[in-house]
Amino acid sequence: MATATSTTLAPISDSRKLRNHVATFAMYACFVIAMIPLVWIIWTLVAKGAGLLGDPHWWTNSQRGITSRIQGGGAYHAIIGTLLMALVTALIAVPLGVGTAIYLVEYGRGRIARAVSFMVDVLTGVPSIVAALFIYALWIGTFGLHRVGFAVSLALVLLMIPVIVRSTEEMLRLVPRDLREAAFALGVPRWKTIMSIVLPTAFSGIVTGIMLGLARVMGETAPLLILGPYAKAINTNLFSGNMAALPTMINQDRVEALKPAVDRVWSAALTLILLVMVLSLLGRLVSRLGSVKTSR
Amino acid sequence: MKLQRFSRIAAGLAVTALALTACGSDNNTTSSASKSSTSPQADSACATGTLNGEGSSAQKNAIEEAISGFTGQCSAATVNYNPTGSGTGVKQFNGGQVDFAGSDSALKADKGEVAAAKTRCQNNDAWNLPMVVGPIAIAYNVAGLDKLVLTPAVAAGIFTGDIKTWSDPKIAALNSGAKLPTAAIKVFFRSDESGTTENFTKYLKGASGGVWTAAPAKAWSGTGEGKAKSDGVSQGVKSTPNSVTYVEWSYAKDNQLGIAQVDNGGGPVELTGESVGKAVVAAKADGVGNDLRLKLDYTTKEAGAYPVLLVTYEIVCSKGLDATKTKLLKSFLTYFSATDTQKGLETIGYAPLPDAVRTKVDAAIKAIS
Repeated sequence: MATATSTTLAPISDSRKLRNHVATFAMYACFVIAMIPLVWIIWTLVAKGAGLLGDPHWWTNSQRGITSRIQGGGAYHAIIGTLLMALVTALIAVPLGVGTAIYLVEYGRGRIARAVSFMVDVLTGVPSIVAALFIYALWIGTFGLHRVGFAVSLALVLLMIPVIVRSTEEMLRLVPRDLREAAFALGVPRWKTIMSIVLPTAFSGIVTGIMLGLARVMGETAPLLILGPYAKAINTNLFSGNMAALPTMINQDRVEALKPAVDRVWSAALTLILLVMVLSLLGRLVSRLGSVKTSR
Repeated sequence: MKLQRFSRIAAGLAVTALALTACGSDNNTTSSASKSSTSPQADSACATGTLNGEGSSAQKNAIEEAISGFTGQCSAATVNYNPTGSGTGVKQFNGGQVDFAGSDSALKADKGEVAAAKTRCQNNDAWNLPMVVGPIAIAYNVAGLDKLVLTPAVAAGIFTGDIKTWSDPKIAALNSGAKLPTAAIKVFFRSDESGTTENFTKYLKGASGGVWTAAPAKAWSGTGEGKAKSDGVSQGVKSTPNSVTYVEWSYAKDNQLGIAQVDNGGGPVELTGESVGKAVVAAKADGVGNDLRLKLDYTTKEAGAYPVLLVTYEIVCSKGLDATKTKLLKSFLTYFSATDTQKGLETIGYAPLPDAVRTKVDAAIKAIS
């Protein structure tokens, strides 16, 4: 009976065919529309900014002594500033974020866990300018310190923690219960289960989350404008002096009408995108190298 | 062991980052040497260290030029200047965040800025040192009109919207023989708050004999269409026939716009470094001792003095910075106010400080301790 109906299946009606085609077309159209701005941005940046990137000085020199009328100089000072601030941000935010996520997934029960979870949600919604002003009030208003790279890192930490907590939490929840129960059944203590079973299993997902967080904070501009005044010379000291970063470098020359400065703005923007891209590729690589073999 | 591998990778990344910090170079002399050919002066002996300044964007190009030249000859010195605006600069200076501020207007006593600056300088006076003279051009784009003369009253009429066409008899009376189109005048103004707007409206208010009534302010109160930043208004005029705006001289020059001559009563005056210098000399000193705040005389009728201008000050502590910074500050300011440096600013649209003012500024810099 069943085989008989399947062989004599009525041909698909025209209206269904039409609807199918319309839906397919709509899907493709959505895809193309979503891609337009992305491709446009990348195309514009490459077309306008690629010129300077070929010059080795771009990667090794600072802007010291360069004015908007002079061609030359590089973005080294800004690249190193962005990387250093991001590195310090990650060093603080990653342990805090991953630790919080472990607490929420493995230990957290009851009211405290709910409160922590709620706070993380609130933190997710904090705009970068508010985080920056909070650190400004704390660092400069209360402690009376100067605007330095480390203060920027602190503001970025506030922005990065919720991203890491949320993504790590998701990844830890994906680790099958069976694995944990098997470990417990063998008499493995809880902390050891977390360290050697749960975390390694979720490793690649956690790294991806960290990279997403890093990518977000590296392009963040508000904390830099408020806490990290631009400098044209190289400064690798996070605790003293003005420190350049790629977003502030872009902002500095943005209002210029003269060609050398405008060219540098495009190139700095392209450099920032490349930097984030390289970091996420590195993250992919790290997570692939470090992940548990999934083949069984 | 997975975590061990991770920490190994992390350590590797950290080492790479640290290694990277060692291989950059601040030495851009090859590219900037052609520009900064000013010979080293004996009295601006190189000091070392880092100096941070912040403030007016009107003097940005001038101070960048000076920084470029100064750090070109003093390789152990670094000077940073962030053009965040006069108000911000003064605030950061008073908050002790920067070593000097650049501002379009001298510290204001009624806003508490003078008192705050005194506290910041550990109970020493802060001085306003006029350093950069930025003329404001009345820039226009009218085909076939090479020379345009305006009096302050007529200029105010144009910018308030009372005078609506280029062929208006008031304009024609000043420009006999010129071919004025019958087209409407299109005015562009700065939509952002700007020291240029404030100084230009101060001039209109001071010199137009009552035609301009609004109080001078950073926000524009006249007629027209707003464009952001100096760049925006100059581009607007460049691309729109029969338009006019007020903009820093450098932008009018860079965009090759027509620049009106101003007749304050002593005959039409062309905008040149020299004519602006004459107006600055005519300004009265308004401060005490080495506090060199100027009171510009917008109504000056002196022949050959171009009166539409703004003066940016460097605001510094007379005492109270630490010894290294003081030395560097004096060394940099001496270089900035030197005749050669000031002369060089003329090519990028600023007027050199006239000698009468310059010598006073020099004396004040020497008196910083």
